[in-house]
Amino acid sequence: MTTPWMTYLLIPLIKIVVILVVLILLAAYLSWFERRILAFMQIRIGPNRVWPKGWLQAIADALKLFSKEDVIPARAEKLVFLLGPVLATAPALIVFSVIPFGPSDLLRLTDVNIGILFILGVASVGIYGIILGGWASNNKFSLMGGLRSAAQLISYEVPMGFAVVTVVLMANSLSLVKIVEAQKAQHVWFAFPGWLAIPGLIAFFIYFICGVAETNRNPFDLPEAESELVAGFHTEYSGMKFAFYFLAEYANMVVIASIATVLFLGGWLRPFPNVAALAFLDVIPPIVWFFAKVAVFLFVYIWFRGTFPRYRFDQLMALGWKVFIPVSLINLMAVGLGILLLGGPR
Amino acid sequence: MSLWALVCSLIPFELGQGLGVTGKYFLRKKTTVQYPEKKMEPTDRFRGMFGFSEERCIVCHACAKACPIDIIHIQDHFVELEVDGKKKKKKVLDRYDIDVKRCMFCGLCEEACPTAPVSIWLTTKTYETATYERNEQLYFTKERLQNWQGVSAYPGVLAPNAGMLPEDPMGTKPKAAPAEPAGKEGA
Repeated sequence: MTTPWMTYLLIPLIKIVVILVVLILLAAYLSWFERRILAFMQIRIGPNRVWPKGWLQAIADALKLFSKEDVIPARAEKLVFLLGPVLATAPALIVFSVIPFGPSDLLRLTDVNIGILFILGVASVGIYGIILGGWASNNKFSLMGGLRSAAQLISYEVPMGFAVVTVVLMANSLSLVKIVEAQKAQHVWFAFPGWLAIPGLIAFFIYFICGVAETNRNPFDLPEAESELVAGFHTEYSGMKFAFYFLAEYANMVVIASIATVLFLGGWLRPFPNVAALAFLDVIPPIVWFFAKVAVFLFVYIWFRGTFPRYRFDQLMALGWKVFIPVSLINLMAVGLGILLLGGPR
Repeated sequence: MSLWALVCSLIPFELGQGLGVTGKYFLRKKTTVQYPEKKMEPTDRFRGMFGFSEERCIVCHACAKACPIDIIHIQDHFVELEVDGKKKKKKVLDRYDIDVKRCMFCGLCEEACPTAPVSIWLTTKTYETATYERNEQLYFTKERLQNWQGVSAYPGVLAPNAGMLPEDPMGTKPKAAPAEPAGKEGA
């Protein structure tokens, strides 16, 4: 029944299409959720007009962006200008090929044994889209936005990597599926058990905050700071190109939330997966648990945006270099030393 | 400082405080009024669309002179009247036009009006003055000023007794019931 043709071409293709459609819809609807949640935090109602109850607002936005004029500035570097949104969007979507949504093989595209390395490598390419787009626009504000993005990437990729390596040490694997299974074997859902809980928690917070900085979200949205840089790197972009930058930003939010879920919150596992008293929670399928956790992260993202003012650029750099890098480095060394001396989870 | 206090001082609890405030507002009742379905009544001194009463107007041109951008155009002529056997001249209003598209709703015409109650007033509580055409539809002759079509939000507010009344000089209590036109000042 299962020919190689099916296992290697048809089923992956179907999975790819499903993941792409779901992810793009999720990213589009995230913009609507963001507007609604921000409005609620400002005791407004937010977009609720597009039939029914504003549920089609995201579709209407997409249609509007399709119909906009596609402007390329006269002195722009055309090829790079066109490449910018593509480079920003593609990596964000590619990353989803290794994220496990559930325990079965059907719920993930593939399980690469260096999954987390793959994610870090591919996701970093996405910043090129922002830097190149900012440079190619031939606009001072865009260039400044791109430069800031580059500086932010360098500052925050490092502590993020350290936080991820901490998890890799604890789980003893680079594969995302194995990391989740290790969390199940160590029988605690949140972060990691025993003495590993505290470094796990620190790594979790560092990862998440660096993730907010990586995706250029408030309060680290320096590359597109409206009040100083007009719109930063996408000042000159309009129509679908702008839509792709938008899509990339929101897809990246989903990516960071998914990875944080997998690495720190036990992916598809229910809370306390080895406590038998909570077995009734297994009624809810694993994929629902996964997306519920992702939704919590996305809500926190928007909550941050509704609460915190933007950092000044030197404060941003100081936070990255003077706080996160030392703390994550010490955290990593403590975990490594602890595993060496106390015998960690194997 | 103990080590514990030092550790506590490094954890930014203030950020949690801020998140708490926005979280509280997230759950709070929303203050938005869903406009086309629900409307708020403006305050009593809100300046909206014009109200005009030809019966009260004494054709003194004070409003036209007071208008800083000269959008009130008045034309009149004299008629001979016999009152108690004496011949009297009386001004009669021919045209009283307001080019509302240029109006900035400063209310100086209303302040300049010497009649009581005033014969031109802006406290009609009408703010829905949008039209698809500005030159024709926002040009109000005296007939249109007294009988709006297409811009009325609160029917009944434009009664002749509405606006500033003598016993109510600040115009805080507009009378809802329209009174019969007295016709004392009319020609």
